[in-house]
Amino acid sequence: MNTPKRGFSRRELLIRSGVVGAAGLSLPAILAACGGDDGGSGGGAGELLIENWPEYIDLTEGDVLGTIDRFIAASGVKTTYSEAYNDNLEYFAKIQPLLGTGKAIEPDIIMPTQWMAGRLRKLGWLEKLPTDKVPNAKNLEDAFKNPPSDPTGEYSLPWQSGIAGIAYNIDATGRELKSIADLFDPAFKGKIGMLTEMRDTVGLLLLGLGINPSNITSFDEAAGAFEQLEKAKSDGQIRAFTGNDYIDDLGLGNFAACIGWSGDVLQLGTDNPSVRFVVPEEGATLWWDTMVVPKGAKNVEAAAKFMDFVFDPVQAAQITAYVQYISPVKGVREEVAKIDAALADNPLLFPDDETKKRFFPFADLSDEVEAQFEEAFSGIIGA
Amino acid sequence: MTAPVVSRVRSLTGVSSERVGLLSLVLVGVALLSVGARWVSGPIALLVLVLAALVVVGWITLAVLGSPETKRALAPYGLLKPGSMWLALFYLAPLWTLLKSSLSAKKTRFDVFPTFSWEFSNYGKAFSDFGPQFGRAFLYAGIATLLTILIGYPIAYVIAFRGGKYRNILLGLVVIPFFTSYLIRTIAWTSILADSGPVVNILDSLSLTGVLESLNVMDNGKLINTPAAVIGGLTYNFLPFMILPIYVSLEKIDIRLVDAAQDLYSSAARAFRKVVVPLSIPGVFAGTLLTFIPAAGDFVNAQFLGNPNTTMIGNSIQDQFLRQNNYPVASAMSFVLMAIITVLVIVYSRFFGTDDLA
Amino acid sequence: MSVTTKRGRVGRIALNVFAGFGFVYLFLPIAFIVAFSFNQPKGKFNIVWQKFTLENWTDPFSDTALTDAFVTSLQIAAVSTLIATFLGSMIAIALSRYRFRGSAAYNFLLVLPLTTPEIVLGSSLATLFLGQSVVDFGFATIVIAHAMFQVSFVALTVRARIRGFDWTLEQAAQDLGASPMRTFWKVTFPLILPGILAASLLAFALSLDDFIITFFNAGSTLTFPLRIFGASRVELPPQINVLATVILVVTVGIMAVGSVLGQRRRRRLGQTA
Repeated sequence: MNTPKRGFSRRELLIRSGVVGAAGLSLPAILAACGGDDGGSGGGAGELLIENWPEYIDLTEGDVLGTIDRFIAASGVKTTYSEAYNDNLEYFAKIQPLLGTGKAIEPDIIMPTQWMAGRLRKLGWLEKLPTDKVPNAKNLEDAFKNPPSDPTGEYSLPWQSGIAGIAYNIDATGRELKSIADLFDPAFKGKIGMLTEMRDTVGLLLLGLGINPSNITSFDEAAGAFEQLEKAKSDGQIRAFTGNDYIDDLGLGNFAACIGWSGDVLQLGTDNPSVRFVVPEEGATLWWDTMVVPKGAKNVEAAAKFMDFVFDPVQAAQITAYVQYISPVKGVREEVAKIDAALADNPLLFPDDETKKRFFPFADLSDEVEAQFEEAFSGIIGA
Repeated sequence: MTAPVVSRVRSLTGVSSERVGLLSLVLVGVALLSVGARWVSGPIALLVLVLAALVVVGWITLAVLGSPETKRALAPYGLLKPGSMWLALFYLAPLWTLLKSSLSAKKTRFDVFPTFSWEFSNYGKAFSDFGPQFGRAFLYAGIATLLTILIGYPIAYVIAFRGGKYRNILLGLVVIPFFTSYLIRTIAWTSILADSGPVVNILDSLSLTGVLESLNVMDNGKLINTPAAVIGGLTYNFLPFMILPIYVSLEKIDIRLVDAAQDLYSSAARAFRKVVVPLSIPGVFAGTLLTFIPAAGDFVNAQFLGNPNTTMIGNSIQDQFLRQNNYPVASAMSFVLMAIITVLVIVYSRFFGTDDLA
Repeated sequence: MSVTTKRGRVGRIALNVFAGFGFVYLFLPIAFIVAFSFNQPKGKFNIVWQKFTLENWTDPFSDTALTDAFVTSLQIAAVSTLIATFLGSMIAIALSRYRFRGSAAYNFLLVLPLTTPEIVLGSSLATLFLGQSVVDFGFATIVIAHAMFQVSFVALTVRARIRGFDWTLEQAAQDLGASPMRTFWKVTFPLILPGILAASLLAFALSLDDFIITFFNAGSTLTFPLRIFGASRVELPPQINVLATVILVVTVGIMAVGSVLGQRRRRRLGQTA
């Protein structure tokens, strides 16, 4: 390598170091400024950012306004709706560094499943809902009042409820399925899907073993279910553990059968008649997703307005007619009958008392037991 | 005017300007590393940063006031300083924080920051709970690397020796597919290998399904969600990283050597074996590193193309970190992965005797 | 090198055919990606061919979340490439122009990030960012993460490119009376500029496509690959294929233009291509 006869001049050095210094000083400023405008809007007052699960609201189609657009028209609140909530644990890991250190996250409303809402509440990461600003909260169905995850009812309002049962593609199975044991039929080897949602998968397996998941208090009681799951996985019975992504595979027949959520499968079933949903003989797990306001959210008032809006039976009916889940709002059935009479009679959307007896919400676990369950589960689903 | 003063000082202390430059570089790097790795914090960190700034100023002074020889000696260190600061802060410091995190434990389940407590059990857990994933990662990456050599070497050979004036175009063709997103490329394979996709249909019509099932390539009529699919994905995604280094080493071979060899051995195959192969070893070596190392840590292929029994250590690290919030164990797994790879690379280098990676 | 035995000829053809299949293999997914950008999927996943449509191309930005993520990726790539080019070029110049103590060790340090698996790079940076509160996970952390591995890459690429640079040109210029500064800007810089530009283009592409390191350090910010990954559990719209094809065509276009310009330049400077 040739070295030049004369080195850099003094001017050159000064300029070089000056540039470096300037860059060094201004870099954090640039980065901070850039950091300020990443995605989402939840900015000033009169704005709202909602983060929800996918396919969980009726969006505007053609001339028919979706709930969000109707809300914007009725209230004037600039609302941004994002479907960024894909998995409870993943979302929790994302918000933990912020909420855990006392900072606020951007969304004003998020939709954790009820057990996650309970965890957030216990950690003190939720704002109390201004219930005086949500008069329609009186329409809440009694079954959802003061649940274990929110005993005072001040921190959450249910969004939709549903059950996890067996979804199957009759073209792929060749027969009707009725029981949880059908999931373990060797004919379906490698074509079974189960959920990454621990309470739904393990809950159904417990029901299959004749154990009531609502009464579980210790890990040992569920050991049998975990063994069964481990065996099914290592035998190659299970093709994949999925979040929301079982839907298309089910439609294509990649899954002969899977554990799925009632509303998703019903939505798919309208397009694809081979896809069926069945509440297993042994029972199904019941869950509900809740609207909560994270601590430090900037638009608590706007959030309250939204909650009030969706708890109006007329509005709630629109949502239910689309997502086909169980609504927590009283009087929705009559409104849905006006939209679609067949849906109003669907026992999966409006279960009668007999059907409700076969729905089992998962027990509210203590922290240590929950940790054991989650560890065992994550060890099996292979991640 | 001041040059004699400076040189007098230097001759008094007996330090050459080169050493001064090197020292200043190292000091600045260490300062930033210590702040990043949090060996110092709060006001002491501020003090360290100020000291680093002073060192830079001192260096600038010396360079400005010094003789041309001094300037020339100090110049490279000045050029290196910003980059070094960046690397020290964002490559070396994180490795330290990773190590520290791997020896920490969370006091309560939902603590954001684990506390350091010499928690060696994290490493125990990494091995006991995730042993199979480690094994699979190295197995799949190893097979994929071999496959990239099998497929890539002939391609590189043809381009180098038969390419002629189309060489650059052919090389371009090798590289172009990799300007699409890594994710999208992998997802494309889910399309190609889908149960109702073209490949499975062809295999069915050729009645090869049974054969492939017995070889464990297919599973109950599926080509995707199998270990073969994962290995296939890894092979595909890292093929250019094998082709290009092999090409570079083949291109350097003087064609006359091969001609001479053929005259001596009178057989193309032997000439190849005795002359071309040994000369291309550095390329294969570099290619192996560039393929095996990223493949071992990958999780995208296993996620899209695999099933719950084909998870690799990358999937586990990602899950523990981003879903289970278990930073300490995840950090331990990460560290172990890096350590094993480093050992393998060192052993491999000794075996091959080459060290020029750039 | 002609082998005229029958076996030799067969061997030659076989080898060429094999290489040909190799190229087909390389382009198979690309063909699928481009083809499926014209697909109208039945469900939400663009995996099975349904029917041909030009709709996706006429309205490629209909998926606003995807487009936003794409724009974010471009912004991140721009900033990080700028930083990395600046830092990396200086390193490359230092390593090739000067012989100095510690250069071998520095070389080693530079290669290290490229031989560390991405998952280790990503998770280690995440542990760094977790323990502090100056920067939150988001745009800034992603830029830092990208620039970190880009610096090594740019430095090594530029260094390889300017390896053949004749530094005596600088001496000649200075002998002719130019100041060192002038020499650098008027003589050295223009000649090494193509190498720097090529390296920064590649670094830009690396940043656009980075997934694993970004995954660990993004917080709630969505880049294009992250959006695809997150969405892939719910849907795979054909717009992804459209955008990917666009990126591909643009990059190939830039490469082609660059190589043509380079050839012309070399001819102009009197060197053979």
